[in-house]
Amino acid sequence: MNYQQYYPIDVVNGVGTRCTLFVSGCEHFCAGCHNSSTWDPSKGHPYTEETEEQIIRDLGDTRVVRDGLSLSGGDPLFPNNLDSVLKLVKRVKTTYPDKDIWLWTGYTLEGLSDKQQQVVEFVDTLIDGKYEADKRDLTLAWRGSSNQRLINLTELRDEENYDL
Amino acid sequence: MTDIIKRDGSRQPFDATSIIKAVTRALNDAHVRDDDFARHVAEEVELSVQGKPQVDIYSIQNQVEDLMMRSKYKDAARKYIEFRQTRDIQRESRNTLSRDILSIINQDNDELLNENANKDSKIIPTQRDLLAGVVARHYALQHLLPRHVAEAHKRGEIHYHDLDYAPFFPMFNCMLIDVEGMLTNGFRMGNAEIETPRSITTAAAITAQIIAQVSSHIYGGTSINEIDRIHAPYVRKTFDKHYKQGMRWIEDDEKARDYAMEMTERDCFDAYQALEYEVNTLHTANGQTPFVTFGFGLGTSWEERLIQKSILSNRIQGLGKNHKTPVFPKLVFAIRKGVNFALEDPNYDIKQLALQCASKRMYPDILNYDKLVEITGSFKTPMGCRSFLGVYEEGGQLVHDGRNNLGVVSLNLPRIAIESSDETDFFRRLDQRLEVARDALMNRIQRLDNVRASVAPILYIEGACGVRLKPEDKISKIFKDGRASISLGYIGIHETINALYGNAHIYDNEALRQKGIAIVEYLRTVVERWKQETGYGFSLYSTPSESLCDRFCRLDIKEFGIVPNVTDKNYYTNSFHLDVQKKVTPYDKIDFEMDYPLHASGGFICYGEYPNMAHNLKALENVWDYTYDKVPYYGTNTPNDSCYECGYEGEFHATNRGFECPQCKNRDSSRMSVTRRVCGYLGQPNSRPFIQGKQEEVVRRVKHL
Repeated sequence: MNYQQYYPIDVVNGVGTRCTLFVSGCEHFCAGCHNSSTWDPSKGHPYTEETEEQIIRDLGDTRVVRDGLSLSGGDPLFPNNLDSVLKLVKRVKTTYPDKDIWLWTGYTLEGLSDKQQQVVEFVDTLIDGKYEADKRDLTLAWRGSSNQRLINLTELRDEENYDL
Repeated sequence: MTDIIKRDGSRQPFDATSIIKAVTRALNDAHVRDDDFARHVAEEVELSVQGKPQVDIYSIQNQVEDLMMRSKYKDAARKYIEFRQTRDIQRESRNTLSRDILSIINQDNDELLNENANKDSKIIPTQRDLLAGVVARHYALQHLLPRHVAEAHKRGEIHYHDLDYAPFFPMFNCMLIDVEGMLTNGFRMGNAEIETPRSITTAAAITAQIIAQVSSHIYGGTSINEIDRIHAPYVRKTFDKHYKQGMRWIEDDEKARDYAMEMTERDCFDAYQALEYEVNTLHTANGQTPFVTFGFGLGTSWEERLIQKSILSNRIQGLGKNHKTPVFPKLVFAIRKGVNFALEDPNYDIKQLALQCASKRMYPDILNYDKLVEITGSFKTPMGCRSFLGVYEEGGQLVHDGRNNLGVVSLNLPRIAIESSDETDFFRRLDQRLEVARDALMNRIQRLDNVRASVAPILYIEGACGVRLKPEDKISKIFKDGRASISLGYIGIHETINALYGNAHIYDNEALRQKGIAIVEYLRTVVERWKQETGYGFSLYSTPSESLCDRFCRLDIKEFGIVPNVTDKNYYTNSFHLDVQKKVTPYDKIDFEMDYPLHASGGFICYGEYPNMAHNLKALENVWDYTYDKVPYYGTNTPNDSCYECGYEGEFHATNRGFECPQCKNRDSSRMSVTRRVCGYLGQPNSRPFIQGKQEEVVRRVKHL
């Protein structure tokens, strides 16, 4: 996997103070995408063991406490990215059970493959759906167009558990 | 040898040849030639000045005139007189006073007109104020300041702040108004005797009147320290009044209480709304909206909580039909562990409201209780935007309200660094400049000696300064023994370090960081010494440099040209602040700046540049919490501009020529609301442009996230 940009401290992608990784690779090609430079999976910097180590280290920083990790792109659920991303989210959740993970994807929750599902199991907040320029709305929090959904998966899981 | 005192006060040795030249020219103009006569006049004059140490240029000219009038060359005498008159008029129109006055008429001197971002120089009352300022400044420089101080100011080695007011007028800078004493004991204002208010509505209305009056008698900011505590009794009175009314009609204690509470909440909200409108609509005698600051946040009684909520929710709502962000009053919200810091604290809900308000309106800035006490000795709201008083007691009790700052003189540190060959040379030159600055500050103090209370009844007789003097009493006694502060300011640590040590950026180099702190620490030891020696409350103040950032740099460019990394940006960096172009996280910026307030305890503020944080109060709170044990006073710059053309809300693009809507590219300054941090205060540069250097600085600011 390649990544475009890593922000060790970020406040504009998800609630609280976060570490944010923008991965390379996306097959949605939404018209009007503000990150079109991230579509090509071969662009950016190689995502290495070292990158993962840094993210884990930054999330554990006691000076500037992070609320969690944000994954965006590109698309973190782009097929080529799934192995690396799954390994990362697993490790984050094992190391820091109290920190949350936000993930932005162009796929929809209902249409995810099994492998994508595996990643999403570790995600707390999912923003799904393609960017649709005609539904652009600057007033929405964390989203670009009104078809995109902000799904609190943790709450959903709690409700499901309750139902069972 | 005789000295001639010229028109500008300078001296020059007497020189007979210039008389010969002048007389010859007059003779030529009258078509006469008589070189002996010209020499004769010069000799006569020379004889008359012999033995005198100095002679005024005017008396020399009068003598020449008389000699010529008594001679046979009457025509030439007339030519000489005419020539002198023409020259006088030319000279007069060349001098700074007439030039400045003309620039008010022509509206063409940006430095003068935009010096203060809070003054609208297009309107008549402000022009009257500017005119008074021009005359007061001119007169003070010519006649009231010691010569060496005036020259150092003109050269830009030091800056004698607010010359348009003091020392011409015996005014001081900024203060904490003793509103509590005035409301409790009553006072007289204009033709009215004012008694203790019986409701929050009246208390707020009277507070507005006090602010207006006080702001017309001082030139700096007026602050109300802990307005929630001061106004709380009047909220209680409002409740009691409504409760009595309720019982009369409802006769059910619980219902009457509910009714009274609802009415009180409404009254309180309305009272603060009225107060905010009042502040924003009134014009003081200084030609501007009063620079007023409300400090609040520590009170935990229901009355104080209600006041805190009323102030914040009014601000969140905004002013008028466009819900514009008000620039005044400045709001300063105190945060204290056990009161409102953490989830379990009684006022944590109000901290959340304050965060919401800051994300939308930039204010409130925050005061971290424990850190402030550690650094300044006790808790108090800043006077104006960033001036902090030290500890002062009367009868074993800490006193804050009614105290003031006598004024500021700032040092141009980058200039000293440019002139210095090395560090030792720098400190040697600094010592010399400090002596001049001290003389300037003593001049400020001395101007207030022998001034009587009747000069400003609201301050000295009616209680704003916390005293009730008699009209004929001298005011100077209330400024002694540290009751008032008097401040040495400084500017441009960033450029000073660049000029002295070159190459590396102060942020990236630990040794340079220590050098920066060492300079400020040294300045502190000097003002401490002055304090010991004089008994006056000398303090070290981190100058806001709203217009000084431009002036010092401009004068230094004139003197030394473009010095890379020093004068090349057209502005100097605010006091100890990190270079605005340095891209770092707000956390790192706080760490970089946190050691300075301890030394510059007479005035400081730290702030960070943020994106719009309305959706992420949690992250804003993380930063606030981070500052708690690091910096005493912090502001989060979260721009929230609005476009009246397309309705866009967010951050406008800052350019060298003004501001632009990122959505519809609107540049019409009357069709937008843009709010930016000027110094400790906010400003609205779309309607009142910043001075050029300040705009340059605004354009270069980078986000810290």
